[in-house]
Amino acid sequence: MKLPLPPWVRPRALIALLATCAALALGPLLHSDVYIHNLLTLTFIGIAAALAWNWLGGYLGQVSFGHAAMFGLGGFVAAKAEISMGMPMVFAWCFGGVIAGLYALVWGHPTLRLRGPYFSIATIGVGEATRLVGTYWDWLTGGSSGTSLPMHPNLKFTLYWYALALAAVAMAASYALRRSSLGLALLAIKSDVDAASDVGVSSTRLQDLVLFLSGAMIGVCGASYGSYFSYIEPGDMFGFDRSISWVLMGVIGGIGTIAGPALGAIIFVLLRQYLIASYPQLYLGLYGILLVLVILFEPLGLTGLSLRVLRRARPDLIVSGSET
Amino acid sequence: MRNSRTALFLCVVLAAACKKQTASQEQPSGGTAPAGQTVAAPGADTIRVGATLPLTGAEARTGGFYKEGYELAFEEATKNGGVDVGGKKMAVQLTLLDDTSTQATAASLADRLINSDKVNFLLGTYATNLVEAQSVVAEQNQIPYVNGGGAATAIYKRGYKWVFGLLAPVELLAESIMKWIDTQQKAGKLPKPATIALLWENTSHGKDFRKGVTEFADKSKNYKVAVDESFELNGKDFSALLGKVKAANTDLFLADAHLPDYITMQRQYVTAGMCHKIQSYGARGSEKQAAESLTPKNVQYILSAVWWSNQLSSKSPEAKRFVDLFKAKYGGRAPEWYQALGYETVRALFAAITQAGSLDRDAVRQKLAALKIPSLLPGGELTFPAEFGQQSHAPFVVQQNLPDGTSPIVAPPDAATGMGIAPNPGCAK
Amino acid sequence: MDRFAELVIASVLLAGLYATMAYGLGLIYGVLRIVNLNHGGMIMAGAYAGWYLHSEYGIDPYLSLLPVAAVSFLLGIAMYRGLVHRLPRGAAGGVQSLLLLFGVWLVMRNVAYLLFTGNDQTLRTSYSTRAAVLAGALVSVNRVAVFAVALATLIILHILLTRTYLGKAIRAVAQNPDSCTLVGIRVERIYALTFGLGTALAAIAGLLGATLFPFNPSFGAGELLKSFVVVVLGGLGSVAGTAIAALILAAVEVFAILFIPAYLTAAVGFVLLVLVLVLRPGGLFGQRVLG
Repeated sequence: MKLPLPPWVRPRALIALLATCAALALGPLLHSDVYIHNLLTLTFIGIAAALAWNWLGGYLGQVSFGHAAMFGLGGFVAAKAEISMGMPMVFAWCFGGVIAGLYALVWGHPTLRLRGPYFSIATIGVGEATRLVGTYWDWLTGGSSGTSLPMHPNLKFTLYWYALALAAVAMAASYALRRSSLGLALLAIKSDVDAASDVGVSSTRLQDLVLFLSGAMIGVCGASYGSYFSYIEPGDMFGFDRSISWVLMGVIGGIGTIAGPALGAIIFVLLRQYLIASYPQLYLGLYGILLVLVILFEPLGLTGLSLRVLRRARPDLIVSGSET
Repeated sequence: MRNSRTALFLCVVLAAACKKQTASQEQPSGGTAPAGQTVAAPGADTIRVGATLPLTGAEARTGGFYKEGYELAFEEATKNGGVDVGGKKMAVQLTLLDDTSTQATAASLADRLINSDKVNFLLGTYATNLVEAQSVVAEQNQIPYVNGGGAATAIYKRGYKWVFGLLAPVELLAESIMKWIDTQQKAGKLPKPATIALLWENTSHGKDFRKGVTEFADKSKNYKVAVDESFELNGKDFSALLGKVKAANTDLFLADAHLPDYITMQRQYVTAGMCHKIQSYGARGSEKQAAESLTPKNVQYILSAVWWSNQLSSKSPEAKRFVDLFKAKYGGRAPEWYQALGYETVRALFAAITQAGSLDRDAVRQKLAALKIPSLLPGGELTFPAEFGQQSHAPFVVQQNLPDGTSPIVAPPDAATGMGIAPNPGCAK
Repeated sequence: MDRFAELVIASVLLAGLYATMAYGLGLIYGVLRIVNLNHGGMIMAGAYAGWYLHSEYGIDPYLSLLPVAAVSFLLGIAMYRGLVHRLPRGAAGGVQSLLLLFGVWLVMRNVAYLLFTGNDQTLRTSYSTRAAVLAGALVSVNRVAVFAVALATLIILHILLTRTYLGKAIRAVAQNPDSCTLVGIRVERIYALTFGLGTALAAIAGLLGATLFPFNPSFGAGELLKSFVVVVLGGLGSVAGTAIAALILAAVEVFAILFIPAYLTAAVGFVLLVLVLVLRPGGLFGQRVLG
C-alpha cells in the first residue's frame, strides 16, 4: 500500500517518530512514578522549545540569545486569555503562540538584515528590554508579583500528553522544514543570503516565516509552562539564563541538525536534575566547557559525535553527504 | 536513515534516563544530609519533613540562615526524644534540598519530595516567588505547607487550604513604619503635612511596601507622596534617581530594597550629600553588614521594621528561650529574624502534629488552621487567621539606628527597648 | 540650572567609563572581526581582581590597575592562542567564535561563583563616599578619579595606535591582513597581542566599575551590551568616535529619568542598541557592521 506521502518523507523516519510517540504515550500505564511523569512533561516542553529555537538558530544560522522574550510573552498572553477571557486552555496556548510569533516578526524582520554576531547581540538587547518592560507592565504580567493561573484538579497529570503532542509536532515540523524544498531554500539563505536571492529564493519572506514559526512555537511552550506550574513571573519567564539554555541545548545537541536540539534538551534536563542534587553550583560552568569543546572539536555537537561513532561502526548504513 | 537512527537513539537515551532516575532515587536524596540526628533509623516510625532552601544562588546567605533555624528546631525535638504523636514519641527527619533560588527548581524539587521521597509534610523556602510556585505543588498534592519565607499577600489570596504563612505581609511592615512616623508628627516633631519620597524595588516585596505607604498616606491626609518611583532589583547606578529625589526636597525618604541595593543606594545617597528628616529602607537598616560596608556614621537614624529582633528576648520568654538555644549552639552569635522565623515555622508544624495526634495530613491541616500557640513573634502569639488566607498578621518591630551604635526597638510600645529620634539632627534644616 | 549642570557632569563622568569598556570590544572586533562575548566575563574578572587585592591585601584599587591590566593582557593572549586561534577567521567563524567566547564567559562566571560565592560585593575605600564641589555641583571624588583614569587610558591607547610601530601594525592588519603578511608583519602575533590588549582594557574597565558599583559573578552582561552600543554608534578605530558615542549613551541614560519612570531607564540602553543596529548599521562615522 502506497501512502500519499510527499517525496521527501522517509517512511522509516515517520515510523520511528510514531513508534516513539506511542511508546511514550503508553508509558505512564506501565509505571506509577509521578515524579518521573512530571519530569518527562517538562522535558517534552524543553524539546519543543529547543527545536523551535533551532529553526532560527540552526536552519537559518541566526543565533538568538533573546528567545525568552517570546516564551514569556506567549506564557503571559495565554494566562491572561485564560483568566480574563475564560478561553479554554488549548485555545489560549495557540493565542499566546500567535501573539509571540507576531512579536518575533516585529523585532525580527528589521533585525534579520544583520548577519551573524550582530544579529545575536541585537537579540540580547531585545530579550533584556522585553524583560524590563514585562516586569513593569502590571496589566499583562502582574508585574513582579507574577500571574497565578487557576488550578484544575488533574491538569498537571494530563499535561504529559499535551506536552508530548507538542514535542511531536515540533519534531515533525523540524523534519519537514529541513527535508522539504523549504529546507533547501533555508540552507541557501544560511550560506549566502544575496546569492540565494539571486537564484530566486524569496529570502525575506522565508526568513519571516521561520521567525514567526520559531517565535510562535516557543510562545506555545511558554503557555504550556504556565499551565504546568500554575504560576509565572516575568523575571523567571523572560530571564537571560532561560534564553541561554536553548542556545546550549541547540549547540551541544547539534545545531542545524533535525533532532540534535531534542537530544540537547534531554541531556540538559537530566544533567540539571542530577547536578542539582549533588553539585548545584557547577552546571553552568559544565555547560560552558561543553560548549567550548563542541565549537572547537565537533560543530554538530552530540549528534555529530554519535554520527561519527556510527559511521565508524557501520559505514554502510550512513549515507554520505553533509548534514548542514 | 539518519533521522530514524537519531529517533532510535533518542528512545534509547530516554529509556536509559528513566532507569537512571529510578536508580538515583534509591540513593539518599542529594543536597544536604538530613539534618537532625534521628533517634531510630528512618522507617515507619519517623516523621519525614521535606523542604527546599536557596543554599546557593542569589539568596544563598539568607537561605543559610533559615537552614540554621530549621536545624535548631529539629535538633531540639530530637533531644526531647522526638515529637509527641498521640502519646508516642516519633523521630523527625528533615530532607533539605537546594533550590538554587530558581522557581522551576523549587517547584520541581517540591514535586520530588512529595512523590519520590514521600515526605509527610513540607516546610517552605525563602523568597516570595519561590514560595508562590511551591505552594501550588503543595496544594495540588494536598500536603500541609508551612512557610516562614513568603510575605506577599498574593500567596494567600488564592483560597488555598494547605498553605500556611508565618511572615506577616509587607503592607503591614510599611504601616508599622508609618504609624511610628505618625506618632512623631502628632508630637510636633515633623511638619504637617509631610512630603514623602517613595522608592521601591520592582519586586512584589517592593510593590507591597509601596501599597502600605500610599494607603496610609491616603487615609491619613497628613502625608503627600511627592516622588513615587520603582527601580530594578540589583540596580547599580541610583544617582539619577537620587538626583530626582534630591530635587524634590521632601521631608521623608522611604525606600524598600534588598540588602545589596540598600548598601549601594545609601552609599550614593551619602555621596550626594543628601539628608532627610526620616529615612527608612523598609526591612533593611540595622544589618551589621551594612554598618561595616557603609561605616556606622552613614547609617545613623535609619528606621527599619522587621518580623523579629533578638532584642525581644528581654520582653518575651519564648524569644529568650530561642536566643539562648541559638547562642549555645553557635558560639554566642546572636540570631536575626531569618533564623527565628525558620525555627518557629518548624515549631508550628510540630505543635500541629502533636495536637492532631496523628500524621494524617488533613488532621494536621485542620489543627494548623486552628492553631493558637505562644510564640517568639512580636505580640507573643502565633495564629493563621482564615480571614487573611492563613497568613499570620503578627505585628512588626520598628527599630532605629542610634549614634551610639545600638538599634533599639522603638515600636510597638510593649516591645520597645528605647526611644527613637526624629527628625534627624544631622540634617542642616 | 543646578540640576542640569549636575546631570551634564554625571553624563561626562559616566562616559569615560563607558568609553574604556567599549574600546576593548571595538579593538578586538576591528582587527580580528570577532565579537568577544567574553568581554563581560573579563569586566567581571577585573572587578573581582581589584576587590580581592583590596580586601585581602589592602591594596588600593587604583594602584592595582597596572598589575591587573598586565595579567589580563597575558590571559588574553593565552585565550587567543589556546582557543580562538583554532577557529576560521572572517565571516565563517563569526557565530562560532561568538559561541566559543560565550562558553568561556559561562565558565568564568562559574569559577567566580565557586571562588567568591554569588553574593554581591562592594569595594569600599576610605574615599568611597567623599564628595567634592565641581562647577556648582556635588560630585563623588571616586567618579572623578575613574574618569581621569579612563581618559589617561584612552590617550595612551591613541598614542600607542598612532605613534608606535606596533600600533601601526595593528591598524594595518585591521585594514588588510593579507597584504600585511607580504610586508613582513606577523599577522598571527598581532592578532594575539590585540586580543590581549582588548582583554586588558575590559579588565581595567571592570576594576574601575568595581569602585563605583556592587558586583557579583553575573556582572558584565549589561556592560557588554552598553559597550556594543558605543562600538556600533561610534564606529571602529577612532578614539574620538568612541568617546563621542560613549558620551551620547551616557547622556541618554542620565537624562532619560526626566522623561520616563526610573525603572525603565535600564531599558534605554537596550532599546538604543536595537535601534542603532537596525536604523544606522553604519554607525555615526560610516564604519560598516554588516557582513
